[in-house]
Amino acid sequence: MYRAGTFISGESFVHRLDARLKLAAVVSLSVFIIWAKPLTILFMGGCLFCAVLSAKITLRTLGQAIKPLLFFIVLIFLAHALFSRNDGSFPGISASGMREGFVVTWRFLLLITAALLLTMTTMPAQIIAALKYFLRPLKHLRVPVDDIVVMIMLALRMMPFLLWQKDKIEKAQLARAYDWRRSSLKRRVGAFLSLIIALLLGLFRRADELALAMEARNYARGERSSFVVLKMKPADYRTAFVFAVMLLIFMALNYYLR
Amino acid sequence: MISLNNVHYRYEPEGIAALRGVSLEIKDGEYVALIGPNGCGKTTLIRHLNALLLPDKGSVEINGLDTKIAKHHTEIRSCVGMVFQNPDNQIIGMTVEEDVAFGPENLRLPAAKIKKRVAESLQRAGINDLATRNIENLSGGEKRLVAIAGVLAMNPRYIALDEPTAFLDPAAAARVLETMDNLHRAGVGIIHVTHKMEQAALAERVVVLNKGAVYLDATAAKVFAETKLLQQINLRLPQITQMLLKLKKSGLPVRTDIFDPDEAADYIGQLIKKK
Ligand SMILES: Nc1ncnc2c1ncn2[C@@H]1O[C@H](COP(=O)(O)OP(=O)(O)O)[C@@H](O)[C@H]1O
Ligand SMILES: [Mg+2]
Repeated sequence: MYRAGTFISGESFVHRLDARLKLAAVVSLSVFIIWAKPLTILFMGGCLFCAVLSAKITLRTLGQAIKPLLFFIVLIFLAHALFSRNDGSFPGISASGMREGFVVTWRFLLLITAALLLTMTTMPAQIIAALKYFLRPLKHLRVPVDDIVVMIMLALRMMPFLLWQKDKIEKAQLARAYDWRRSSLKRRVGAFLSLIIALLLGLFRRADELALAMEARNYARGERSSFVVLKMKPADYRTAFVFAVMLLIFMALNYYLR
Repeated sequence: MISLNNVHYRYEPEGIAALRGVSLEIKDGEYVALIGPNGCGKTTLIRHLNALLLPDKGSVEINGLDTKIAKHHTEIRSCVGMVFQNPDNQIIGMTVEEDVAFGPENLRLPAAKIKKRVAESLQRAGINDLATRNIENLSGGEKRLVAIAGVLAMNPRYIALDEPTAFLDPAAAARVLETMDNLHRAGVGIIHVTHKMEQAALAERVVVLNKGAVYLDATAAKVFAETKLLQQINLRLPQITQMLLKLKKSGLPVRTDIFDPDEAADYIGQLIKKK
């Protein structure tokens, strides 16, 4: 079973790029996506789309990964379409509201796609190593970079467990729905709280055991090494150059477009 | 050599004692099964073997290094690997490779050396084909083998495994046991915590724990011959042995020191042919 958004092994050009380059590109692209004018990001969408295709990611896989977020996407769109107050008709559908809704939704989609392009074509260990590389200068400021990176690793690792737990809460609530409608508010709150507490206890117990397992494998706070070797190849430098040029073109475009 | 000397331990100051005076020696390369009723202290005992728990009284020494001395811990934990009961609580990486590299990374080995260790460990655990797979997409049996590989990456002399076949289907369990057997043949000492008698019979030596103390400690054949003592603490013999005992009770002159179905089949086949 493929879990949406996780690494898909492949041999494409994008797969082979240095993880640092991809991480830097996604971060700078994200800033630009948030900041640029609507017409510019329409163009950028096209370029991002080409990148997705060159990574040999099918639209179907991309769709699968975006699907869980569909609810938010629709919500964001509706919120802007209905409650945009430009022409005073509030709330209601207006041309400017619709336009704003489209733009915001488009920005959001591009952000997700950029992030997915990174996570689908880069092994988690490589992303972590790239992150560590960029955070390394902070060591001079006594920031515990190695510890932060391990914490991020653990958070990623716990994510599926949290989602699974969330599912469990929802199912349990569904199973209780019949009783809930009949019982008093106080009892409803009580039942809900006891459920949350049980789940939190499960999480803590798990975290406890994980900490012990880490200790058993000689984990100690502070400096660690990494089995990932990041190396910029000629193709990486070429791509970095092309990317920088494209970013400049986008900026120029953004300046001249309305 | 692992040596426990009159080890006492309780989790809470006023709580009941989880271990009460355990003395035990395990030699290099030995294959020991640790069995006993639920809550008898098996997990507590093996967690003393790599200084995850420290005795309240008595001492644990690994190759002469006392676990109470903190500066020995890195060496002790590299020497005795620990496979936890639930692999989901042990696996830290998102991919197999990444997880197996976790231990050597903590030892700050250089990248090339870690890669070599990861490849070797995956090979020894028989899962080279899983190297780049996502942990979330693995079966329960595969996760156990990943947990074992992660421990092997530290190059341990001993591995303690806490019920490594719990919740596995028979085929997956057999694969884990086979891996353990291969490691034993390669000279790694195995401490196998289990409540399945059939599996305990695979070990060279069986230690029975009861209420935090060593109850029996001998070869599988000798331990299983103590039917009365085992019954007293509600431990059941392997089914095939139970059957042979019943045959003997009904007056047939059969051996009762057989714990393995294949061996029993051979034996009974020969008996029938002789007639
Ligand atoms: N974290 C803990 N806190 C308090 N008591 C514990 C803890 N873990 C185990 N115990 C108690 O210690 C005893 C031995 O437990 P354990 O070693 O887990 O037994 P086993 O693995 O043989 O089933 C049991 O009585 C158990 O209730
Ligand atoms: Mg246990």
